[in-house]
Amino acid sequence: MVNRPEQSEQVFIERIRAKDPVAWEQLIATYEGRLLAFLEPRVADRAAAEDLVQETFTGFLRSLPHFDESRSLEKWLFAIAANKLKDHLRRERHVQSLVVSNDEQEAPQIPVVAGARGPSTILDSRERRIKREALLLSILAEEVERIRRDEGWTKLACLELLFVGGYRNKEVAELLGISEQQVANWKHDFQSRLKRHLDAAKENGITF
Amino acid sequence: MGSEKAEIRPEELEAFLDEALPAPRMREIEEALRRDRNLAEQLRAIIQRRDLGLVSIAEVWRRQRLSCPSRDTLGAYLLGALPPDEARFVRIHLERIGCRYCLANLADLQSRMEATQEQKEAAQRRCQRYFRSSLHHLTHSAEP
Repeated sequence: MVNRPEQSEQVFIERIRAKDPVAWEQLIATYEGRLLAFLEPRVADRAAAEDLVQETFTGFLRSLPHFDESRSLEKWLFAIAANKLKDHLRRERHVQSLVVSNDEQEAPQIPVVAGARGPSTILDSRERRIKREALLLSILAEEVERIRRDEGWTKLACLELLFVGGYRNKEVAELLGISEQQVANWKHDFQSRLKRHLDAAKENGITF
Repeated sequence: MGSEKAEIRPEELEAFLDEALPAPRMREIEEALRRDRNLAEQLRAIIQRRDLGLVSIAEVWRRQRLSCPSRDTLGAYLLGALPPDEARFVRIHLERIGCRYCLANLADLQSRMEATQEQKEAAQRRCQRYFRSSLHHLTHSAEP
């Protein structure tokens, strides 16, 4: 699991914050291949993908003062790459018309933010969202780690297919070669545990 | 993601917004959104829900990569060195969940394993270019 940052990542960050060019060169060599593999299939040509990798690295340096070392460096880099890619696609091609076009004949309009809400309301929502995500993350991380450690890969695959992939019980049972009843039991058990965590959070004054 | 093309699940729309699905599936969803108003409405509802400060299990689990195998594990998977249960988990994670981050790591590991001398030199040149063009940012933007 890659949820926790590796110690080598923290060393990278410390050295790069100290403006060590050797560390920066090593970071580039370590991560450029996976970033290129992430970006290239989504853009028209190799040169554009390489430009986005470049922008990701410079974006990383710009964001470094705000980077929390308890986060995974790879996850942070992928998040920057995804944002750069979304900007690129919005500029370059059809995602523009999908996401922000006003031309209903061409494509349905999908607003990025609700237009009638003021900046303070949006900020409030963003803060609530960050708090909720942090709470849900802590609950899910604990449960996923417990399942992986104590209950095995089949149960983890089952829950990932259900809750991340959105597969139906029957499809999951077929994919894993287990009974639908087993899938239903694991799903119910997981939902019950989540509910207990969330109820406990509510009792401690955290609304979800 | 299998070969099926028909159904686009709400969980995939969440991942679509986060640019987290494999490129072919991203394109399929983009095309479907152009012709299917109901699907576009579903996407709009997700955006509005996020805008109201709500989060979903699928979104947090995928974005925070809670069940992603480590890069070492992906390397062992490539070499066929994982126990069968774990190997099946990784295969499902890659093929059925379609984790774009792990697919990128896997592709990188594979290309490093199979790289010719010429490809290795090309990668080194790329890295040098990234390094040279970012050095200014390193010296001016890295203060905490």
